[in-house]
Formats: sequence, C-alpha cells, structure tokens
Amino acid sequence: MKEIIAVIRINKVNATKKALIDAGIPAFTATGRVMGRGKGQVHYDILRGAEAGHPEAIAQLGNAPRLVAKRIVTVVVPDELCKTAIDTIIQTNQTGNPGDGKIFVTPILETIRVRTGEEGDAALN
Amino acid sequence: MLMIRTIVRPEKVYDVMQGLLDAGYPSITKISVVGRGKQRGLRVGDVVYDEIPKEMLFTVVPNTDKDFVVRAILDNAKSGAEGKFGDGKIFVSAVEEVYTISTGEREADPSIPVKEA
Repeated sequence: MKEIIAVIRINKVNATKKALIDAGIPAFTATGRVMGRGKGQVHYDILRGAEAGHPEAIAQLGNAPRLVAKRIVTVVVPDELCKTAIDTIIQTNQTGNPGDGKIFVTPILETIRVRTGEEGDAALN
Repeated sequence: MLMIRTIVRPEKVYDVMQGLLDAGYPSITKISVVGRGKQRGLRVGDVVYDEIPKEMLFTVVPNTDKDFVVRAILDNAKSGAEGKFGDGKIFVSAVEEVYTISTGEREADPSIPVKEA
C-alpha cells in the first residue's frame, strides 16, 4: 500500500476528484487551508515589473517567498494503482507554471477498515 | 527522500520558517492542527484543555540533510534556552517518490548516486 500526498492548487481540487473517480480511485481525503511555499518562484509579470523598477512590483516581491494557499489531497491505494493515481494527478493539475504542486509517495504498513476490522488491501476496496 | 513533519507552537512558526529559509530549505507546507501530548493537555485550575492549537510544518528533504534540517528546526522551535513542555515534536518518515506536477518529472534524491543503466 502507498500513501500519495499531493499538494495542489485550490481550484484544481474538484477536477482532481472527478479524474480520480474516473480512474477508479474513489476514496480520497482533502485537507483545507494549507499554506506553503516552494522554491520562491514568482509570477513572471511581477518579476518583469520589478526588473523595470516599478515600486509596487518590488513591494510585492518582498524578501522571503510568500506563503501561498494550497490544498493537500491524500489517497491511499494498493501498490498496483499507485502509478495510475500519480499519472492522473499530474495530468489533471499540470499547467506548466511554477506552483502546480508536488506529489509525495510514502509507504503504508497497514490499513484497517474501522467498520468491519478488515486488514490490508481488502480494506481499500 | 525523507518527510519531516514538525509540530510547533503557533508563535514559533515564523521563527522556524525563517530559520529553514536561512538554512537553504525554502519549500514548506503549514497546517493548523489541534492536539495534546504526554501532559494530557493543559490544566488551568479546574478547567482542562485537551486540544491545544499547534501548527504542523511539512517539508521533504534529501536523506543526507536530515540531521542538519532537524537541528535548524530545534534551534528555532525551543522556548527559551532549555525548552518547555509543549514545544512540539518532529517526526521523520520515508518518502519513496517525489513528483513535480508542473513538469510531470520524478525528482531524484540528490544524495543518492544515480546508477548507470
């Protein structure tokens, strides 16, 4: 079992939900109100404005990378669905600009369904 | 790669984040959480608060940088020189794969030498 933790744009959450259902992965957890920063890449218009010496653009740049609101989407899938889930999330969320997010894949040792006490892959479907 | 999850006091978050930025780790995600620890929450007179607000910081780093990043967090997250109850915890877990969505590429851990095919 793998846990796929994806940090994505807020406006892509609904599209990601739909795409994951179509890919056969209905189970899904989203965390609201997550703030984050990446390598500090900013919008090109602001950068160009700052280079041209506009004071508003320079003020927007600031010293440190700004915190940007994102959503975290967590999916736990059996090993064989891992690749599908990653490809689906990348296809749905890719705009090609900095800030599209990251996907982390971590191992899960055990899954237990609370209602029945089932363990392992049986608890996932 | 390793995921470092840190639970810190809300008033220390920006110190820790600035410390990580200065140490060269700008990428981080912050979530507001509530929780309790070994002290079973906070007792003020007869009132017990067992859900204390904290902030959780997520960051994923190369394997070899773990000790350095943990040290950078510890230096900034402690209250006073000695530290106090409620300063938080750091959890480190394994991350097998990392992808950047904008390029769709899998990120390699820079600390692991690439095998020639």
